[in-house]
Amino acid sequence: MTVPALQTLALAAGYEPDLPIVRGVDLSVAPGELLVLLGPNGAGKSTLVKAIAGVVPVHSGNVLLGTRDITHIAAHGKIGEGLAFVPQTENIFATLSIHENLQLAAAVLPRSRRGEKIASLYQRFPDLATKSSRPAGTLSGGQRQMLAVARALIIDPRVLILDEPSAGLSPKIVAEVFSMLKEINADGVTIILVEQNVKAALAIASRAVILVEGKIRHEGAASTLLGDPIIAKLYLGTSQPQEAQQP
Amino acid sequence: MNPQFLMDGLIAGAMIGLGAIGVTLTYSILRFANFAHGELLSWGAYLALALSGGLGLLSTTLSMPIGPFSFGWSLPLATILAIILTGLLALAVDAVLFGRLRSRGSAVIILVMASFGVSLALRSLLEFIFTSKPAYYTKALQIAVKIGGGLRATPDQLLSLGVALVAVVAIHLLMTRTDIGRSMRAVSENPALAGIAGVDVRRVIRVVWFIGAALACIAGIMTGLLVQIRPYLGHDLLLPLFAAAILGGIGSVPGAMIAGLIVGLSEAAAVQLVGAEWRAAVSFVILVAVLLLRPRGLFGRAA
Repeated sequence: MTVPALQTLALAAGYEPDLPIVRGVDLSVAPGELLVLLGPNGAGKSTLVKAIAGVVPVHSGNVLLGTRDITHIAAHGKIGEGLAFVPQTENIFATLSIHENLQLAAAVLPRSRRGEKIASLYQRFPDLATKSSRPAGTLSGGQRQMLAVARALIIDPRVLILDEPSAGLSPKIVAEVFSMLKEINADGVTIILVEQNVKAALAIASRAVILVEGKIRHEGAASTLLGDPIIAKLYLGTSQPQEAQQP
Repeated sequence: MNPQFLMDGLIAGAMIGLGAIGVTLTYSILRFANFAHGELLSWGAYLALALSGGLGLLSTTLSMPIGPFSFGWSLPLATILAIILTGLLALAVDAVLFGRLRSRGSAVIILVMASFGVSLALRSLLEFIFTSKPAYYTKALQIAVKIGGGLRATPDQLLSLGVALVAVVAIHLLMTRTDIGRSMRAVSENPALAGIAGVDVRRVIRVVWFIGAALACIAGIMTGLLVQIRPYLGHDLLLPLFAAAILGGIGSVPGAMIAGLIVGLSEAAAVQLVGAEWRAAVSFVILVAVLLLRPRGLFGRAA
């Protein structure tokens, strides 16, 4: 039996000790899977991924990366374990240059590999290469997302978690970002994606999990959820089933 | 107006600038105004005094003046040890008090009030150990030499300016060219994201305490060397330090140094123009003016 890339076991988490937002979530993500976390506002999607990443305190339960329990490892330590997280907002250092943003993330690598790794990311994201000395704060929304993803990819993560990467972006840029995520996933990186843009997310995901009031209410293949009118009406905020469209 | 105020202002400004760099670094990363920072100057000065005296007892040749300077090798050696000890003192205070308050999620005002308490305790301890009688590294007299433009300076003063310049350049290079410097800037901008990006925020905080304390120690020793050593040495510089940190822009190392020089020159000019009794008011006026007109300072980023 294949060991899941990432698992949460009865995970409860929240900002205040006596006020859990995530309440007993059992989640299992297979290696190479692109899982999308969906649900209405306030369902606890972002809190769940932040708890996995070590940003929000875990009240009880466990987070396993492969077979290793990473529940109580600090956020910076999880990078070394192969878990990368891209927050929804403020996901780059605006006062540092683009190159410095990448150098900062590359500091966890051996010195001999840093230059080569940054060069390979510039090849993948040529827009960043041409502006490498500029302050990251001068980038457009889409370019910021690319830099945030590039920063996360620098460690060659086993699992990449993204919290609403399409927030605030134009449809054209959203399509570019999602296409980039699909490419990264095709390279073998397991991705967990929190999204409000249901249509675009289900179109690239292999599986979806719907979270409501801090608990998993439904899960299944992305293509099934996309065509299920009851799911669409109850949990996704739409009255019509979504049509699958490739971004 | 006697041009000598330029030299007096530069020397005072260099001491203020070095202290202000520590204030600006701790403020930008720990996000509270540490009113105990001045005591690190005093402790640095007294630790160097004690160590220098101890080394002088071990070997009298270490106390013989080096070239044109008023002090022997015992002081530079004591400075290195005092920098380490002052850094350890700052780390100990953080571990015992500020770190615990941070982990409890205490409000900024609690940290600020705690720093007042630390300031009082550290200063009282200095007075208890060394008494409040002024002390000196050396009682040798130095003659100021002409350096052109109608200015005069003693070799000790010129050395202090050189040390301040080297320290500022070194810290600037550390902040812009090294992993730890980038990490410090990242934590200053967004500590949560820095952690996600792989930065050990606790380690960065320890480094910032140590660097801030080391610079405070150097500034304290310079003040002690050029003026005198008193338990209130750092406390009396607190207002100029904060004025320079805010004028330079919180988080900006070159800004703190340049602003320190501006404050020092303004104080020296005020002494000549309106009298020495107004010297202390200059920092206050600068502080209020910056907060009213340009709260981000000369080189700070907009909130």
